[in-house]
Amino acid sequence: MTAPPETLCRHCLLPVGRRGFARTVNGESCQFCCYGCCIAHQVKSGSGDASEAAWFLVRLGVGSFLSMNIMLFSLLVYSGAFTGADRRVLPTIHLLLWGLATPAVLILGEPFVRETWSQVRRGRLSSSALIVLGTLAAYTYSTLAVFRLGGHLYFDTASMVLMLFTLGRYLEAAGRARASRDLAPLLAAESESATVVEGAEEHRRPVREVRAGMLIRVKPGERIPVDGLIVEGRSHTDDSVINGESRQSAKAVGGSVLAGSINLDGPLLIRSSGSGDESRWAQICRSVRDALRQSSRTQRIADRVGGAFVPVVLALAGMTLAYWAQRLPLDQAMLVALSVLVVACPCAVGLAAPMAHSLGIGQLARHGCLVRSPGALEALALTRLIAFDKTGTLTTGWPHLVDLASDGVGGDEVLARLAGLERHSEHGLARAIAFAARARGLVPIATDDVRIVPGRGLRGVVHGELVAAGSATLMRDLGWQLPPALVERADVMATSGHSVVLIGWSEKACVGRARAALSFDDTPLPEARATIDALRGLGLRVMLLTGDNAGAAARVAATVGVDDWQAGLLPQAKRIALDQCRPRHGAVAMVGDGLNDGPGLAWADVGIAVGSATDLARETADLVLPPGGLWLLPWVVGRARAVRSTILTNLAWAFGYNLVALTCAVLGLLQPILAAAVMAGSSLLVVLNSLRLERLPEPCYPGVAALPAASQPECELSPGEQGRSTTLGLGRSWSPALHADRSVGNALTR
Amino acid sequence: MTYYALLFIAGFAGSFHCIGMCGGFACALGGDPRGAGATSVRHALYNTGRLTTYCFVGGLAGGLGQAIYASLGAKSQLGVPVLSESLGAGQRGLAVVAGLLMIIMALQFFGFRGLRRVTTGFGGSTLVLSLRSLLSRHGHAAPLAFGVLNGFLPCPLVYAMVAQAASTVDVLSGCLTMAAFGLGTFPTMLAMGGLGRLLAPRWRQRGVRLAGSFILALGLVTLGRGVVPMAAGHNLHHSLHHIWHFA
Repeated sequence: MTAPPETLCRHCLLPVGRRGFARTVNGESCQFCCYGCCIAHQVKSGSGDASEAAWFLVRLGVGSFLSMNIMLFSLLVYSGAFTGADRRVLPTIHLLLWGLATPAVLILGEPFVRETWSQVRRGRLSSSALIVLGTLAAYTYSTLAVFRLGGHLYFDTASMVLMLFTLGRYLEAAGRARASRDLAPLLAAESESATVVEGAEEHRRPVREVRAGMLIRVKPGERIPVDGLIVEGRSHTDDSVINGESRQSAKAVGGSVLAGSINLDGPLLIRSSGSGDESRWAQICRSVRDALRQSSRTQRIADRVGGAFVPVVLALAGMTLAYWAQRLPLDQAMLVALSVLVVACPCAVGLAAPMAHSLGIGQLARHGCLVRSPGALEALALTRLIAFDKTGTLTTGWPHLVDLASDGVGGDEVLARLAGLERHSEHGLARAIAFAARARGLVPIATDDVRIVPGRGLRGVVHGELVAAGSATLMRDLGWQLPPALVERADVMATSGHSVVLIGWSEKACVGRARAALSFDDTPLPEARATIDALRGLGLRVMLLTGDNAGAAARVAATVGVDDWQAGLLPQAKRIALDQCRPRHGAVAMVGDGLNDGPGLAWADVGIAVGSATDLARETADLVLPPGGLWLLPWVVGRARAVRSTILTNLAWAFGYNLVALTCAVLGLLQPILAAAVMAGSSLLVVLNSLRLERLPEPCYPGVAALPAASQPECELSPGEQGRSTTLGLGRSWSPALHADRSVGNALTR
Repeated sequence: MTYYALLFIAGFAGSFHCIGMCGGFACALGGDPRGAGATSVRHALYNTGRLTTYCFVGGLAGGLGQAIYASLGAKSQLGVPVLSESLGAGQRGLAVVAGLLMIIMALQFFGFRGLRRVTTGFGGSTLVLSLRSLLSRHGHAAPLAFGVLNGFLPCPLVYAMVAQAASTVDVLSGCLTMAAFGLGTFPTMLAMGGLGRLLAPRWRQRGVRLAGSFILALGLVTLGRGVVPMAAGHNLHHSLHHIWHFA
């Protein structure tokens, strides 16, 4: 390996791979995947005094000057301008051509020779070896012809082949860099610097040195380097890098801002809320970089074939020379062999997959969707069945109170006691209870000595009397009486698919009894149905796999339009269910919230997490959608398919083209200059074909242009909550509590 | 000779258009600290580079025209096409294409922006920016290289002339066409380098109009060469048939 396989090219951000080499640009050591990228990077990074960049352009300019003159004179010779009386100037013209060609070959060929040499020293033949061999042969032959005054000259061939390849590689690299434009902001997190305000002074510092509590100044148009709270100023931000939403959000003092957002129109002073390399942006950056460093199976196969190509081509060129030398003059036979060498350069093959991958990954990432490896993208394209988890995936994960049945007490008292008790809980339902109590204007009753009974509920003490809330089992464990009417109501609630909580308390030192049953509902997401329909429109089968009870599963399945569902599945059972689907449907994908269904996500061919609350680095899913990003799924599937078909057309094109061109060259039907142009054209076509991915439609929220507030129920809570709800991941941090809630529901059903 | 004089004038008129971009380069190229002689060499090298590119592209276009023409089975006609009396069918077709291209380009000078994207297309700005870094370098290689690369920068005027060169259906004529045009741009460009300052925007605007008018006229003449039957035995119906065939 030239370089560690995980290195990315400095210019086009693709993995460096086999062709890679290092070069010092502007005093900085850079890794490039090819000579073209090295050129393009130097051209791009060239500022006024960057001598390296300028030196390349001088080289290219002077090389072009020489080879254009060679070509011009050669064209004139071919077109018969020096016939008849002018014939005696021909030797002079030949000498002139030699004088022009020698520096041209030296100037333009040097990088190719250097690349070849560095590969040969590692015991490998690179494709540039083909070019070097071909052009050197043409140049040497022509030089001999000039000085022994005989034969045809091929200086134009030698210099033009070199020039076309230089140009082709430059254009290819420019195209690839354009493809990675989407990726640049996602990979910038680590190299970004922040303006840190310390007293009266301001310093530029690398983001990784920023700690919590530091004051950071962000000018309009700049990217916000760290997560934080606004201390001063007012502006709008564009958070699309983080959550994929392309709308602007207004920000004022006290509001939170996210690293990676662009500060649009006002200067801001923010107080960092965490160190720079812990922001979600930095995590996204690391995740995307990791994804780019991996190669898919398709790419590995293509690379292997491309690598084996070079010696084969050398042998083929040798055989071609031997064959034609018996039938044609040596110079013409050599020209045919030269065409073979030039046309077989397998540049486009190595380019076929990585460019489509980086385009795909970049575009998904720009909408907040993270892909862990290019292979996952290809697997998703092949997927024919998508299994969904229910809670937090197809539903909001935010339960709300729907029914309250009491036995001899007022509803308000029930809620006030329950709210007092649940105030000490992180339980998913606690929020729903607090919300319901607040809606009725109730003050929670102060409760002491609150304890959690794992898997059962809560108990506490009010004015010396015991109060408990949770499952029927909890009531029985306490030895409390369960009124039959209440149990019946609770059963009805549970079978209709709701989560049920019983509450009871003791009075006047008597044994307590259950006094009320409350049911909570987790509403399906408004976009769930449209998403499922869209997926079905893409020819995918959809099924629901949930650990929740059958009633809840059936109700949600009916609402969102899934006919195939399995309920009451433990994580292990989900894996079995996925395995059962594989023989019939091939690759299967599993969508979950990334917390409760980690094993399922890891087991599926493609695990998709919607809004991951965990550290992205520890995420097991292959694909992470942004919080509230379920609606993006059909678009993501479409993208994955587009990427895969682009790779296949690229490979078909690159191999097909090479094969046809090679056949033409072996048969002597292709001029070397034309062959060089054809090869540059082939690489460009692969680049352009991949760039077509850029023109696919952007994701569109089903039925609505912008993301409506309805999909974010937390906004209804309170102004304080709203402020926090913009912080990522917070919404899902309630999910573990919700998981416990299911066991309450299940216990009641049983 | 009249033909090349015409192209020279086209280059001269057109060079008022050049003041915008290339004139800026010429100014930036500036003087050589070693004196007036060295400065002249610097600018001569720059313009030689530019001219080489033009000649090369012209020769290539001419050769391409020749190849197309030859593949149509007609006999190539060397010499000065614009005023020659009898034209072959292939040459007519090319003349029509070239004429139309020139007219489209000319209209652009008057503010029709149809081809703007084509002319300022692929990666131009990055290249232009980095090209600027060449300007401050000393030595003889940099201005030459700069001139060569400058010649390839997108320019509607050059495109129009290349179309013209292709319609000559001959390498040498194509090369000379572009050479005449390129030499035509010399006075202004050298003056820009020497004067070291830009013309007032008002004058530049007039220059662009002038250039546009001239290219338009030349385009119409070229088009007319293809369409209007000059030789006996060619009626309009025939010509239209040829246009249909080759356009």
